[in-house]
Amino acid sequence: MAIAAQNNGLGGGRPGEGAGIANLLFVIPALTLYALFVLWPLASSLYYSLTDWDGIGAPRWVGLANFTRAFADDIHLASYVHVTLYILGTLVFEVSFGLVMAVMLNSDRPGFALLRGLFFSPVVLSMSAAGVLWNFVFDYRTGLVNAMLKGIGLGDWAQPWLSQPATALICVMLVSGWKFAGLYMILFFAALRRIPRSLYEAATLEGAGPIRRFFSITLPLLKQNVLICGLLAVTGGFAGFDLFFTMTNGQPYNSTEVPVTWIVKMAFDSDQLGYGIALTVILTVVVSLISLLYLRFAERSHAVEY
Amino acid sequence: MASWTRMRNLAAGVIAAAVLASTFGQRAGAEPVEIRITHSITGGTQKEALDGIIADFEKANPDIKVKQVVFDDDQYSDTGLITQLKSATPPDIYFQWAGFPMQRDAKEGFAKDISAEMDADGWKDSFLPSVWSPSMGMLYEGHPYLVPMTLDVTNVIWFNKKIFAEDGVKAPATWDEFMAAVKTLAEKGETPIVIGNQELWPLGNWASHIASRVVEPAHYDAAFKLQEPFSQPGFEKALTLIDDLRKAGAFNKDIAGLGADPAMSTFFQEAAAMHPIGSWLVPSANEMAEKDFDYGAFNTPLIDPANPTKDSVIGTATGFAVHAKSAHPKEAIAFLKFFTRLDSQVKWAEAGSFSPVKGAMEQAKLDDKTKQMADMLSHAGSLVPPPDTTYPVAVAESYYQAAAYVAGGEKSPHDALVWLDEHVKAMK
Amino acid sequence: MRSNTEAPGTPRDWLQFGLGAVVVAGMCFPALWMIYSSFKTNREIFRTPYALPGTWHWENLTKAWNEGGLGVLYVNSILVTAASVILCAGFATLAAYAFARLEFPGRRVLYRIFLIGLLLPPPAVAIALFTQLRDMGLLNTLWALIFANAAWSLSITLYLMSGYFRTLKREMEEAARLEGADTFRVFWYVILPMVKPAIITTAILNTINIWNELMFALLFISDDASRTLPAGIVRFSGFHSTNYALVFAALTITTVPIMILYFVSQRHVIRGLTAARAD
Repeated sequence: MAIAAQNNGLGGGRPGEGAGIANLLFVIPALTLYALFVLWPLASSLYYSLTDWDGIGAPRWVGLANFTRAFADDIHLASYVHVTLYILGTLVFEVSFGLVMAVMLNSDRPGFALLRGLFFSPVVLSMSAAGVLWNFVFDYRTGLVNAMLKGIGLGDWAQPWLSQPATALICVMLVSGWKFAGLYMILFFAALRRIPRSLYEAATLEGAGPIRRFFSITLPLLKQNVLICGLLAVTGGFAGFDLFFTMTNGQPYNSTEVPVTWIVKMAFDSDQLGYGIALTVILTVVVSLISLLYLRFAERSHAVEY
Repeated sequence: MASWTRMRNLAAGVIAAAVLASTFGQRAGAEPVEIRITHSITGGTQKEALDGIIADFEKANPDIKVKQVVFDDDQYSDTGLITQLKSATPPDIYFQWAGFPMQRDAKEGFAKDISAEMDADGWKDSFLPSVWSPSMGMLYEGHPYLVPMTLDVTNVIWFNKKIFAEDGVKAPATWDEFMAAVKTLAEKGETPIVIGNQELWPLGNWASHIASRVVEPAHYDAAFKLQEPFSQPGFEKALTLIDDLRKAGAFNKDIAGLGADPAMSTFFQEAAAMHPIGSWLVPSANEMAEKDFDYGAFNTPLIDPANPTKDSVIGTATGFAVHAKSAHPKEAIAFLKFFTRLDSQVKWAEAGSFSPVKGAMEQAKLDDKTKQMADMLSHAGSLVPPPDTTYPVAVAESYYQAAAYVAGGEKSPHDALVWLDEHVKAMK
Repeated sequence: MRSNTEAPGTPRDWLQFGLGAVVVAGMCFPALWMIYSSFKTNREIFRTPYALPGTWHWENLTKAWNEGGLGVLYVNSILVTAASVILCAGFATLAAYAFARLEFPGRRVLYRIFLIGLLLPPPAVAIALFTQLRDMGLLNTLWALIFANAAWSLSITLYLMSGYFRTLKREMEEAARLEGADTFRVFWYVILPMVKPAIITTAILNTINIWNELMFALLFISDDASRTLPAGIVRFSGFHSTNYALVFAALTITTVPIMILYFVSQRHVIRGLTAARAD
């Protein structure tokens, strides 16, 4: 787990192996790359976020004006509502669905490995390919879903799925679930393998059915994993861009606008790089804060040891 | 046909003479100078015409090579051009829209002031005089920075002739006729109008044109400059017209999420009767529509006879700027002069572009659709540029968003304008 | 969790397998539909959306390949992915070794700084990075993507590699040291062979991520000549948005190879993921 590493991630060098500056040479290449393309842009974001800059002329210092504007920008604020809904959706369609499938596909019998492999396969597809494919599935006029509805005589139920606020975000969540449930399935599956079989045998002897066993044994023992997967879903959700960009690009009526699509629009479509960068700073702060809060919460309710 | 052949022979003669002249004039062993030109014409007949003109120019000027750096449209305006303008080796010539973008380049010192070049040899006078009117946005502080290249109609209403004939509908001249046509088409079970508004400008452009016909020009300008609120009777009336269309069942159900290209394809597949979009539909139709697809166009119908821009066309001009840091400004100008010569421009027009050079459209052999666009432009009482090339893009986009709300029935015209004023407040 | 100890072939097993198979089949259908539809004509797709192709139009694939310029996209994607993965693997292995085994000033602080990257989403810097790459003159070059992707893969790779180092016994290294090998020799001759499995695992994970990376590719590349597959496919599908057959053919060409890579290296992928996130 990523977080544990922050506390005990270092094996610890030994004094006898030399505490010299020369050893730093091993770190220099990685550090240079990291500093140039991760740390420096992060730091320069702070400067640019305080300027009015169209990307062409010289940046003009405007103090906190971009931030004032960001907190008055209704679409920007709404994008955080949408991304929150999206994250809640991913907790259902990705994490919970993945967990259920991990339990269902947890077997050594022939065939199950293949099912797991297939269930996981959308994870390796590119988001852009997935988005393009699903656009065809949801298309109003010629899409697969509406064709299917017409085929079974429910033509009246045909909807412009990606063009009405009531369904667009849900469609994106579903595709996201399709794409990522396999990832969570594999993570949970690996954890399930470590639960001693004897626990289930004992429970079965006591007459517990599969659902009871799931809630009384599996879920409590997987608590730690569920928390970590939740963190993944939350941080991953905030950074979500690819699927939104290829499927709806924020439409209809900004109802699928999430922070990153709005940032890209502000920065590049409207030539306001300063404002766009200010929005990235806000995003960074929000994601970091949530991660930290989440970690504290996860630490306090520390998982059952087994 | 005859005039076309004659033109070609004439062009060939000119080129042959130029080749001879330059062969004698060339210094022995001189390296050819390379000039780089960047634009967003990725393919189609226009690209072929440009390639041809460049080839002719290189033949006539063997000491100059022209290298094209091509991007597609969205990328060119989003990241492509910024990247290049600021690069250590900027292009010598670049494509730009008149109005706000060009004026920004002039102000920031990317584009070269070409007043002296334009004044020499009557170059400036070879263009249609209307090109240089202030509203076209080709000038910055009275000086030209852009060599006019094409005039584009950014919105007319294309219609399917077969569907119109079947349903007994004629191209309307007034808004009332237009509404009646929409209602008839809707009753017959057609999708009257298809718009792919995912990117907001397809409807936005048209909605701005409608607004410019309803709102007093001074108020229109002041609102987009954020000097006046959008919540005023004129804009409300303009959006109400769109709301009326929606209520009459004019738009495709997936208007809000459909892309611009799929919408055009929907029109080509005869799944909608009308499609409001720019003049670039013509080359696309040649490429993508079936051979028997028959279509026509009409301008946004007359709305308010009292409005000074009642018979306007919405359109924009584009051109080539010479980069201020170009290492070869002389060669760049030489190329642009060659490009805007009448014979080059006739080819340019025949490739489906509306040439801004005097006489080019008259001499060119044009298909009906292009000719119709040309007539529409030359007979227009005035030319209204789309707001996203005239005012800050963020403000224009916000207006487009308000129009989208109305077209989708998400907000009433009044509420959409209240939202709009609230939304742009932070941009002042 | 339950069936392992039961006799094979009980009704419950069949039910479990059957349910699982139905869900998995439902999940796979859109992708399968895409693959076989890419061999149909456009008209066929509209008229009979689910049917298999009447005749298999293999020429759709060549047409998509040519019209989409997929060859160039493929080469660029391969170059970007290979270079970033190699760069990242090399740098991260060196650094992980130092963090796990050597003492040097600032060791703890630096390690923590590297871990910041685990929680940061790439969009957090995308725009600032865009302007920086422009000033460096790297925009529209594959280098922009190589450096950005390699740098953004460092944190997770370094984290996984250091985790792996911790599981290694130190005897071999100590033996080598006693024989007089210096730090670099120990690294090269003793450590590298031992951490090979971890390098392979992280490299495969990074390959999948970088191969599919879209946002950097959209923002940093505007030139057709250096575009990568994910960005190229978005452009292509927008342009040919109603020609299903052609778009599906392009999607099939671009996704099938990565699927094959996945099925071939499935064990590594899954081991890497579980090591990365669930432990």
